[in-house]
Amino acid sequence: MRAKFLKRGFTSEEMSLQITSMADVFIILLVFLLKSYASGIVQIQPSSGTHLPKAYALDASTEALKIEVSENSIQLEGAPVLPLKNFVFGPNDVLQNGVSQKLSAVFEKERKKQVYIAENNKDVSVDSKIILVADEKAPYQTIKTVLASAAIHGYTDFKLAVVKGD
Amino acid sequence: MRVTDDKKNQSKDFELNIASIIDCLTVLITFTLASASFLSIGILDAGVTAGGDMAKSDNLPEVFLTVDIKNNGFVEVTLHGKEKFLEKINPQNSKIDLGKLTLTLKNFKEKWKNVGSVTLLADAAITYQEVIMTMDEIRKTFSIVMLGGF
Repeated sequence: MRAKFLKRGFTSEEMSLQITSMADVFIILLVFLLKSYASGIVQIQPSSGTHLPKAYALDASTEALKIEVSENSIQLEGAPVLPLKNFVFGPNDVLQNGVSQKLSAVFEKERKKQVYIAENNKDVSVDSKIILVADEKAPYQTIKTVLASAAIHGYTDFKLAVVKGD
Repeated sequence: MRVTDDKKNQSKDFELNIASIIDCLTVLITFTLASASFLSIGILDAGVTAGGDMAKSDNLPEVFLTVDIKNNGFVEVTLHGKEKFLEKINPQNSKIDLGKLTLTLKNFKEKWKNVGSVTLLADAAITYQEVIMTMDEIRKTFSIVMLGGF
């Protein structure tokens, strides 16, 4: 009995962690993560507090100007360009045709920049695409104002960013 | 001669120090997981029925369809152009009756086969989520949905 016990104790002392299989698992995990990390062509990262609506949609494979509408601001390519108060534009900012004067000026500047680049680089063309990243709670009035302000400067091909549903 | 044998034995006993590799992999995986976004973002195409280039008159459809989301879940499906038709869809538990909307649109598509797109309108207070949800539902019947109302 004693001999059997000692033998068992000796075996457990000699046991070592199978670190080779662990390395295999880690490598597979890393490859999988890196693959999924690289597959997203367009980086759309809504700012904190912005919840995108859910819908069945295609993969985000389009590169375009990104405009984000959140409760307190409008951001163009991640930089805040216009403050909002509970999704509402400032007083006297929205014209009768539904265009925001300040936002229109921002789009105009962006468009001029695109035209200048296109004029000086034949490989670049002026693009009408724009990706709208808006909070699910945003009223359609605000969305309409943003779209109208962009459309008058030639951004008419709208891409709406959504969270892909099941 | 014996020295040579010892050298041979030493080279056979050599083992790769895998613990440091594991350390590197662990750090890499942690970093990748921390920087990865688990939101799967998709894109919905939405042309705009205003602000673009002038449409060619030759290509204008005889009839066109609009879906108008009203407050409190009411929806109006209207056929404009050569023929006119209006169907009102009542809400279900104060929400848009998406099932009935799809059924109505399928009926429209069967009757007017040359209608290829739908213009989506909404009242000012309708949330973006409701617009997207309705757009998603319309896309089951009509692949092209354009935003309108401005």
